[in-house]
Amino acid sequence: MKFWKVLLALVALVYLSVLAIVALSWMHHLKLSAEWKTVWSFELDPKAKVKPEAQNAALKKKLQELHPKGVYIMVDSAENRLYLKKDGQTIKEALVSTGSGVILVEPGGKRSWQFDTPKGEFFVKSKIQNPYWVKPDWAFIEENEPIPKKMEDRVEAGVLGDYALGFGQGYFIHGTLYTRLLGRNVTHGCVRVADKDLEEVFKASRIGTRIYIY
Amino acid sequence: MNIEKGKEMLPGGRSRWLKVVFSALLVVSFSFSLVSISSAQATRAKRAATTTAVNGSQVRRAAVPASPGKQKVSTTGQPGQKTQPASAPEKPAAASIKGIPEATLQVLKENRFLEEELKLAKTPQYYFVLNLKERTLELRARGMVLKSWKASELRYTGKPVPLQVTTLTNKTALNPPERKVLNPAEQQAEEARKAAEEKARQEQQKKKENGKKQEQSQAAATTPADTFDVEALEITDMPGSYELNFDDGLRIFVRSKSGFSEKFRQTRETLLWYTWYPVKHFLNRKSELRPQLILYFDNMRDAQGIYWAFIDGLKGIIWFP
Repeated sequence: MKFWKVLLALVALVYLSVLAIVALSWMHHLKLSAEWKTVWSFELDPKAKVKPEAQNAALKKKLQELHPKGVYIMVDSAENRLYLKKDGQTIKEALVSTGSGVILVEPGGKRSWQFDTPKGEFFVKSKIQNPYWVKPDWAFIEENEPIPKKMEDRVEAGVLGDYALGFGQGYFIHGTLYTRLLGRNVTHGCVRVADKDLEEVFKASRIGTRIYIY
Repeated sequence: MNIEKGKEMLPGGRSRWLKVVFSALLVVSFSFSLVSISSAQATRAKRAATTTAVNGSQVRRAAVPASPGKQKVSTTGQPGQKTQPASAPEKPAAASIKGIPEATLQVLKENRFLEEELKLAKTPQYYFVLNLKERTLELRARGMVLKSWKASELRYTGKPVPLQVTTLTNKTALNPPERKVLNPAEQQAEEARKAAEEKARQEQQKKKENGKKQEQSQAAATTPADTFDVEALEITDMPGSYELNFDDGLRIFVRSKSGFSEKFRQTRETLLWYTWYPVKHFLNRKSELRPQLILYFDNMRDAQGIYWAFIDGLKGIIWFP
């Protein structure tokens, strides 16, 4: 009987000690959480002539000035959507195809290509109607065909649709014959759009129009 | 003899051990209450000091600089921040910060955020802004929001992250997506072998079924495009649960609530978060605790979208307005 009573007392003590540790831990945890809200730092210049409110307005203005003006294009490569925007308002939304992310390895392993659509800010560098595709080396390697030596053998008409907007390094926003694949990641890095949708984007944009791909 | 005496001294002596246990419980409870109250008071005092610093009526760990000019002030003076208290904390409170209204200090805080965002907005790469108060994660470029996700739940612990630009170093997931590798020569040989096998099989079938094969192939040809299994890395291949590691030691766990396994994982994490983590942090309170954040999303596609957009080297700001 005595043993059980001692055991009971010990269990009670252990239980309360654990409770105390948990309670203290929780207080510590709450304190840490509270610090997330209050920790910050700033520079204070007592002799500064610019008031914080004025500085705030100036900073916001600077940020606003960085926003794209007029028409710009946004491409969501995850959802395969293109948005044509004007002063922040969406004026056109279209289903597109973007990079497949596939890696192509040349037989022999000399060269390899990663078919990703580049992400970041770009500018329209060229506007082409009825574009021709000058097939790069990877297009032949992919088909397991010999790479031609003559430029004429690389040129293919019709596959890029009616319009193309170049945004550098060989990447284009162009039309497609494979409209069934719109909405999927199947391209070699370019952005494919249905010709009907691309016509509007093509007409609205000019050289220098910003493109945001994310 | 003694027992008898004891019996006389303490009526109901048989329950003496129960009284001992009861007394012990009382003593421990009393000490626990004392410790709790003192700890709570200490916490409250610390919080009050921070609040008063924000209110501007009193300054903790901020002091008048030796020479007039710009002084750097931190409301709590946490280590690891870019800006540190300008001078020794033992010095008297700064007259320059004293009396600044809370609204102004909030403006100063926003200015600090805007200064950091301006640095990022000047670059052509997009960046992220995680607002802990609103539980929103935004992808921005040039100060403009490209995409936004709202977390259904957000938790944070460990050393607070300073209001400054942080960089994503890597992403870790249990099943990270793998890029498909095309080797046309090998693939063509494989396709030729498969085609030969298929041709032989079809010929055999043709003999048996007399034309049924044609109907089947026609049906296959009319399969909708979006059901094709394309050789590509798509958003659906991205994981729904993963970890984002940043250069300042911050770890962000992204979780989606969809699926039984995810719900099970979330329950386990919630239990750990509210029981084991506080104890672990308390016991290791003198060591540097890595800041940790957990973001829960109701929709798995949101978590997958973040994995897609958060490329290594992506910069961003985490702040509590």
